[in-house]
Amino acid sequence: MKALVLNCGSSTVKFQLIDTDVDLIAQNEDRFLAKGIVEKIGTTDAIISYQQGDEKPAKSVEEVLDHRTAVAMCLSLLTSGTQPAIRDKSDIGVVGHRVVHGGEKFSASTLMDEQVVAQIRECIELAPLHNPHNLKGYQVCAQLLPDVPQVAVFDTAFHQTMPACAYVYGLPYVLYRRHQIRRYGFHGTSHRFVAYRFRQIFDLKREEANLITVHLGNGASICAIGAGRSVDTSMGFTPLEGLVMGSRSGDLDPSIILHVMAKEELSIHEATTLLNKHSGLYGISGVSSDMREIMDEYAAGNERAKLAIEVFCYRVKKYIGAYCGVLGRVDGLIFTGGIGENAPLVRARSCDTLSFYGIEVEPGLNESTVRKEGEISPRGSRTRVYVIPTNEELLIARDSVRAVLGVPQPG
Amino acid sequence: MEKERGHGFAAVSEAVATSVRNENMSEIHQVGIIGGGTMGRGIAAFMAQAGIEVQLCELDQELAESALAKIGDYFDYEISRWALTEGDKRALMKRIGVTASLQDLAGLPVLIEAIPEDLSLKVGLFKELSRLNPPTTFFVTNTSTLSITAMAEHIAHPQRFIGAHFLNPVTRVKLVELIRGLQTSGETYQQVREFLIRLGKTPIEVYEYPGYVTTRVILPMINEAMHVVMEGVASAEDVDIAMKLGYNMEVGPLALADRMGLDEVMKWMDYLFRELGDLKYRPCPVLRKKVREGDLGVKTGRGFFEHHGKTE
Repeated sequence: MKALVLNCGSSTVKFQLIDTDVDLIAQNEDRFLAKGIVEKIGTTDAIISYQQGDEKPAKSVEEVLDHRTAVAMCLSLLTSGTQPAIRDKSDIGVVGHRVVHGGEKFSASTLMDEQVVAQIRECIELAPLHNPHNLKGYQVCAQLLPDVPQVAVFDTAFHQTMPACAYVYGLPYVLYRRHQIRRYGFHGTSHRFVAYRFRQIFDLKREEANLITVHLGNGASICAIGAGRSVDTSMGFTPLEGLVMGSRSGDLDPSIILHVMAKEELSIHEATTLLNKHSGLYGISGVSSDMREIMDEYAAGNERAKLAIEVFCYRVKKYIGAYCGVLGRVDGLIFTGGIGENAPLVRARSCDTLSFYGIEVEPGLNESTVRKEGEISPRGSRTRVYVIPTNEELLIARDSVRAVLGVPQPG
Repeated sequence: MEKERGHGFAAVSEAVATSVRNENMSEIHQVGIIGGGTMGRGIAAFMAQAGIEVQLCELDQELAESALAKIGDYFDYEISRWALTEGDKRALMKRIGVTASLQDLAGLPVLIEAIPEDLSLKVGLFKELSRLNPPTTFFVTNTSTLSITAMAEHIAHPQRFIGAHFLNPVTRVKLVELIRGLQTSGETYQQVREFLIRLGKTPIEVYEYPGYVTTRVILPMINEAMHVVMEGVASAEDVDIAMKLGYNMEVGPLALADRMGLDEVMKWMDYLFRELGDLKYRPCPVLRKKVREGDLGVKTGRGFFEHHGKTE
């Protein structure tokens, strides 16, 4: 079955077409057909990139004023040309949407109907910048592909298994009741995918492995997975908590922001942007929010770039240590995401004093495992340290197909 | 444009665009703004931040470029307040184009006028805009005092004419007074209202009447504060402290008057007094005196308070 995976943001639509079914999933042989991205939606010079199979990607600049035009363009690209990815849009068997926030309502990927959409709408308050656009994608597909079932795959769903002691904050409990203030966690699809892949490599059952998954991208989070279930994760009520990120602060003393707001007479908007866009690696280094550029500056002797990397790795290490304590026994530690897959230095620093927990990184393996799957722990380690490239689109496609076929969703 | 195995982007986008264009008429993505003063620049910056593409028209190229540079300065200020990033600024500046020709605004779905408060100037402008633009254009004036109906008389489709009173600073004040002239159609009102709501503003419906709501309610308070000072009841400082702490106002009435410009305040009071004939709008003698002395508030460095180093 051909699954169209859609990730609709405020000004971008990412899409991918994947051919998969129960057998292909079991054999890990799902077929990638095409992918693309429409950026700067709402402008007369939106950028459209499209890649079919292993061809060279093609780029163009067009007027794309809304999401409807963007999705219509995706469908046209998939069906046009001399050898199109699909003959007709009716070949699409299911549309899978990435939905950022499912609140406490959704603990698994779900076939979308009016009731589900209404429930996602109720979560808008929790993710005002994301859920409305995710829903727009649904509405547009309902018009353009009226007969095709649609599935919502939530960033938060995987973490719904967390126990209350992990998701309740030390705040008046009435705030949880009144405004649903609790830890939700994000990147669920990525954590779930790499954990699944790790168990597949070792042919383990879901409940047989305790894992720590470390997703280090522009956003970064870490997850403790006990017997296949998320038991704790570093992102909280919003994706701002936890690790230091490209431009997000991660954990800090909540009083700091109140103090700074008073000192600098900041509005809520200014404080929000300060924490989300001016902090993290960018805020510390003053160089960039991109780890690659910071590494270059570090190599050139920039002290603040060095400090940014140290703070970043130290925070990762602190969380790994904490989650070792949470899990008791750790069978696998997995790095993924842009930084996790490509930065041996970060992986080495984040693990350098963890041998006490059985976590060690073998320098040669670590250096050579870049942009690919592989083990980086020395032979005979108690905890297997792995790099596994994430593939959220593939998991969304698989979940969507399973939802349509009525096959239960594995964790 | 790169073409891969027959993927004709142009053909694809043209077909898609045509098929969805008709349904998107109500979605406004571009506006034209005439006038690059404080209000025009504020509206341009606000629109860009809301994702709208802006064409800003000034009298000549030099003024146009200068307006654009000042908008850039404003975004820099926002960056220093952590409200924007350098990347945000680049994207925003790309959304704002400037020109010295009204013809460059022709065909834009919404045209917003923000030139000086002079009826004959505005009438002349709208006559020209009405000639250059199709009957589907919405004409919006940002006047705070002049008659919408009087201006609308001079354009071909007065039902498409409406007033939108933005308040300074436009990027921060959520309120817009949406003013219906006698001939403004319900559809025009609804469409402009929905457009502003989509951009994050809160419009209120106002029927044309001198001073609308904000100006008419705030001016007598400012005027009364001046009387309190004149009568020796309390000092200017204490009047402002009283109103700020007593009623949670962010700015006291006299500091507000200094910011608005005392000459402007007097002009508005005179206007309300003349139009409505009620003694409650008679400008306080202290106000007249200060204006006569040239102490106009922030812009001259002195009004009811000293504003050294704060002149524009």
